[in-house]
Amino acid sequence: MSALAEIQPYIEAFKARAQAGEPDWLWHRREGAMQRFAELGFPTRKQEAWRFTDLRPLQRVAFPPAIAVAQATTDDIALWRFKGETYRIVLVDGAFVPALSAIDDLPTGAWLASTAQTLREWPELLDPAVRETDTVGAQPFAALNAALFTDGFVLALQPGVALDRTIEVIHLGRAANRSSQLRNVILLGPNSRATVIESYAGTGAYWTNAVGVIGVGAGAALRHVKLQDEDTAAIHLGQHRVDLGCNARYESFTLSLGGRLARNETHLKLDGEGAACGLFGATLLRGEQEGTIATVVDHAAPGCTTREYFKSVADDRAHGVFLGTIGVRPQAQKTDANQLSKNLLLSRRAAVDTKPELEILADDVKCSHGATVGDLDETALFYLESRGITVAEARRILIEAFAAEVIERLEDDADLRAHLGRHVARWLAAGDSR
Amino acid sequence: MLEINNLHARINDGREILKGVDLAVKAGEVHAIMGPNGSGKSTLAGVLSGKPGYEVTEGQVLYCGRDLLAMAADERARDGVFLAFQYPVEIPGVNNMYFLRAALNAARKQRGESAMDAGQFLKAVRAKLKLLEIGEDLLQRGVNVGFSGGEKKRNEIFQMAMLEPRLAILDETDSGLDIDALQTVARGINALRGPERAIVMITHYQRLLDHVVPDRVHVLSGGRIVKSGGKELALELEQTGYGAYGDAA
Repeated sequence: MSALAEIQPYIEAFKARAQAGEPDWLWHRREGAMQRFAELGFPTRKQEAWRFTDLRPLQRVAFPPAIAVAQATTDDIALWRFKGETYRIVLVDGAFVPALSAIDDLPTGAWLASTAQTLREWPELLDPAVRETDTVGAQPFAALNAALFTDGFVLALQPGVALDRTIEVIHLGRAANRSSQLRNVILLGPNSRATVIESYAGTGAYWTNAVGVIGVGAGAALRHVKLQDEDTAAIHLGQHRVDLGCNARYESFTLSLGGRLARNETHLKLDGEGAACGLFGATLLRGEQEGTIATVVDHAAPGCTTREYFKSVADDRAHGVFLGTIGVRPQAQKTDANQLSKNLLLSRRAAVDTKPELEILADDVKCSHGATVGDLDETALFYLESRGITVAEARRILIEAFAAEVIERLEDDADLRAHLGRHVARWLAAGDSR
Repeated sequence: MLEINNLHARINDGREILKGVDLAVKAGEVHAIMGPNGSGKSTLAGVLSGKPGYEVTEGQVLYCGRDLLAMAADERARDGVFLAFQYPVEIPGVNNMYFLRAALNAARKQRGESAMDAGQFLKAVRAKLKLLEIGEDLLQRGVNVGFSGGEKKRNEIFQMAMLEPRLAILDETDSGLDIDALQTVARGINALRGPERAIVMITHYQRLLDHVVPDRVHVLSGGRIVKSGGKELALELEQTGYGAYGDAA
């Protein structure tokens, strides 16, 4: 498709959209965002941020927003449920499914609802979360999302509120050649805390385009897990835009398993003195999968800390990409940042591109980065085999250990580690049964 | 149990290391293979255990009447061949206990037995840990990760005690051990001596043989067994060195 032809279906979809009771300010922003997307078009490989990404699966066919709401049952979401009692939001094809969700008995000072409901009942809350010009990181898909988003989830905590249960959000994609445009918002007031697990899964060749806007106030703490487990025929583009206040804590883990084409982005700004973030993740790829982790960390205040550690495993003809930038502004003295990317290639036809970058404009900082690409350790393989463990099992054990090493970074949450470990094991088992 | 006939092997760069090894080990026997550095000791251990990087160019190895060299490394292990590594490998992220149970159950499966449940397994583990004076906490770590040199060697013999092989090949198990650790390791090996089991100890020094007294001693030099004898041969070597066998080491 030509550049114009490939964006046309989205322009048409926007034209067909009604304001449907949304406030005027939002409608204007949607219009502005659509215009912005039309100007920018799809990214090309000439842009540095997209140099390693083959977007053709997204360009060959159009994915207008899903309309019909597919039916889903508790069985359909069982695989991604987090154990124990949770607050839960379930969405299918970009629309909230109340019957599968559980958002009753929230404590005072906590708001958890679908984005659509929030727009009806408390639209001002979304004001800071929808920006028509928000295309930082060469991301026209954020603009497209702002124009077309249908639903998502919103979590807002008043100062000092600490949730006693984990919040789980499960999105299922079902409609072939349709997109789910999700706008998610997490706003933590000062000294509040929460744990959120987002899981993305589904069946078929759909496109999920999810934008999460996250603000963590002074002294607040958010632990944020994302499980990207889309169908291997599907496309997943997801981005988190995070802003941290003074002494705020943000820790994320991205486990990326699915998708024909998947891209998980984090754009994070350390905006208050003493803020700290830990960005961790593992991407497991096989077949023809293409998976990208892109992080842009902006140290805009002094005395902030970044710990970044991402791993990838690529088998068959898969392609993994890590793009990591840490920028330190002149005023961000006493920055302590490190970034590490470790990658495992399991096949001669698999490939990994890793690009860690530091841009340091302050002089009193401690920053480091590193990247490795290798294959399974032959001596470790032989050690396992010499004890009677089959080659296939030995490989499975070593890959699992490789992923486990970064999951261990979630030090004080054994349930979360076990949850992620189970999904890694499931991915490995799916490979054995091929 | 083990019959090596005219074994020739070379390493990847093409150099021939083993140049016609002949050796026969019966069930119930303990043999020591001694030799100077570079004589082919570790190559022999590698070839017998199926380590990659070696090519057998001539000869054969029979294990309980089967062609050992036709079997893959994991198959040999499940069939009762055990190699105690000279340099045990550290495997971060793989829990020692998990690893041991996987190994044990692989062998049980081969024999048509059911997998050990956690209770049985723990009971077996505790008894053997005591024998080798290994703290239970070591089992909760990654395989050999953060182990001292002595702990690694004891862990090898501990694994051997758990897996109860028919043929154990100990590659320089005594190297790097202080006298206390040496005695502990020797006690572990002695506890495993039995009429159904053969043990081949490969070593540079005689000192392990003070504690684990072999039935036969062989001198490997230049890729061949050049002399065989009883336990007194080891003492003789200690006196004279390997000089008479083509190496001053």
